Amino acid sequence: MIRLEGVDRDLGDFSLRSIDLAIREGEYFVVMGPSGAGKTLLLELMAGLALPDSGEITGVDLQALGFIYQDYMLFPHMDVFANIAFGLKVRRLEKNQIQEKVRRTAAELELTNLLGRDVRTLSGGEQQRVAIARALVIRPRLLLLDEPTAALDRANRLRTQKMLRRLHRNTGATFVQVTHDFEEAMSLADRVALMMGGRIVQSGRPDEVLTCPASRDVADFMGYRNIFSGPVRRGRMRIGAWELQVPLEESEFAYAAIRGEDILVSRDPLDSSARNHMSGRVSAIMGNASGAEILVDAGVELNVGITRTSLEEMGIRVGDPVVLTLKVSAIRCFEH
Amino acid sequence: MDAPGRRRLFTPIISASGFLLVLMIALPLLRMVVSVDPAELSRTAGEREVRQAIALTLRASLWATLAAMVTGIPLAWMLARRRFPGRRILEGVIDLPVIIPHTAAGIALLSVWGRQSLFHRLTGLTLVGTEVAISLAMFFVSVPFLVNAVKNGFRLVDERYEKTARSLGAGPWRVFFSISLPMVRKSILSGSIMMLGRGISEFGAVVILAYHPMTAPVMIYERFQNFGLRYALPVTVLLILISLGVFLILRMVEERRR
Repeated sequence: MIRLEGVDRDLGDFSLRSIDLAIREGEYFVVMGPSGAGKTLLLELMAGLALPDSGEITGVDLQALGFIYQDYMLFPHMDVFANIAFGLKVRRLEKNQIQEKVRRTAAELELTNLLGRDVRTLSGGEQQRVAIARALVIRPRLLLLDEPTAALDRANRLRTQKMLRRLHRNTGATFVQVTHDFEEAMSLADRVALMMGGRIVQSGRPDEVLTCPASRDVADFMGYRNIFSGPVRRGRMRIGAWELQVPLEESEFAYAAIRGEDILVSRDPLDSSARNHMSGRVSAIMGNASGAEILVDAGVELNVGITRTSLEEMGIRVGDPVVLTLKVSAIRCFEH
Repeated sequence: MDAPGRRRLFTPIISASGFLLVLMIALPLLRMVVSVDPAELSRTAGEREVRQAIALTLRASLWATLAAMVTGIPLAWMLARRRFPGRRILEGVIDLPVIIPHTAAGIALLSVWGRQSLFHRLTGLTLVGTEVAISLAMFFVSVPFLVNAVKNGFRLVDERYEKTARSLGAGPWRVFFSISLPMVRKSILSGSIMMLGRGISEFGAVVILAYHPMTAPVMIYERFQNFGLRYALPVTVLLILISLGVFLILRMVEERRR
């Protein structure tokens, strides 16, 4: 178990404040958060590459860890073989042992044909695999990954995620990765932590964080596209001309966050158990990878997620009147 | 948007100003080289005294540069990588030799290494008038070129290379010698070339610490003072040609490394 307890580090421009984390042996832990939240510094602290001003980090074996920076940081004055062999040379292994271990790791990452190459001539994906091989060749118990997919296009990002999942399974090591992409975090992590402004604002299983964000900012980061605010009276919040039933009784000021996917769209009012109905006109339709988003002007603007098939079957066009239906349980309320 | 006429003038004007500058440097040198009688030049090149002076100049500057590599490169690393109180002041101190008159530098050096100095009283050694003194003077006035070049080189290298090496288990010595140092070897080479050249050309500080044995710049000065321009000219041309040759070779090595 890796524990961070009350870790503070002030770097002037930004700081990490009272970080508490517990990462279990062998798990895939993803720290997500917007750029500039201090995620890289957190990894450097765990790797002993930076020292905390106060607080404690325990459970990290500094002799058995790998660290992979976003830009890979391959040593430009060494070829692929020498890059991978670096950690083994440091450990003063014998020449033939180094040869054998490098070859085995290179084979695992499909680098065998590149061993003699100048690292500056490699493609981005090849560089990344060399960086991973260089870290894995020493059989680390903990692998720290700083935004490994940030510089990649979508196809390569998915390929890398698949490779990371496979390596995590095969090595049995603890993986700690940071990313600004919550979808990536959802797809890779056993558990996640969300970091904002130098603090951990929420952690838990990915589905918990996704369905039960702890604050307005978390909801915003997790892709909740509809966030409203105002007082709540007798379980109701006023949104534009509508009174929505929300899962909160009384509040002077609260936020209500709704995912676009949780709003049902129809042409006529639905006869259902859902308590909230609004009507409006479609003001825009935007396609995306998984389906489409439609913007509905109901006095306030609402962002609704819909599959491509439903969109086509219903034949919805810009300007059409629609009805929106929404369960109380799909609304998340926060007072901060 | 520039008028088309002004646009057309851009390249000619930039080229002309550059050409003017090159002329300011090359004209005096060229004028000197063509004014010397080739027979006179080869006779001077045959003089033992002259050959010794030129060899001494090159050798002393080389010692100074090697000493600066050993002491200056670690310092350059410190200045580039570490934050400590007084770092800015230290950087200013390194630059001082460039600013102060070199005769003043010579006198300052004399107070530390001369016959009245504590060094002399403690060790009984006399450095004044030796090759060591010449190297010391050259070191003093030219070391900023090496330290600054290497410092800027280290600053350009992403610190995360060093951190990656540390994460792989490398200690500070290993990181320094197998990562940091090789990554700045171009800066080391070009800084050394600058320093070597600055050392060879030094007159002011050298003449105060060692009139004899005579370096080439001191010899040029002496011949000019005692016998006039005609006698100073061949030695001058010879030194310039040899320096030029050495630097062309070093620059070619530097280019090949790129």
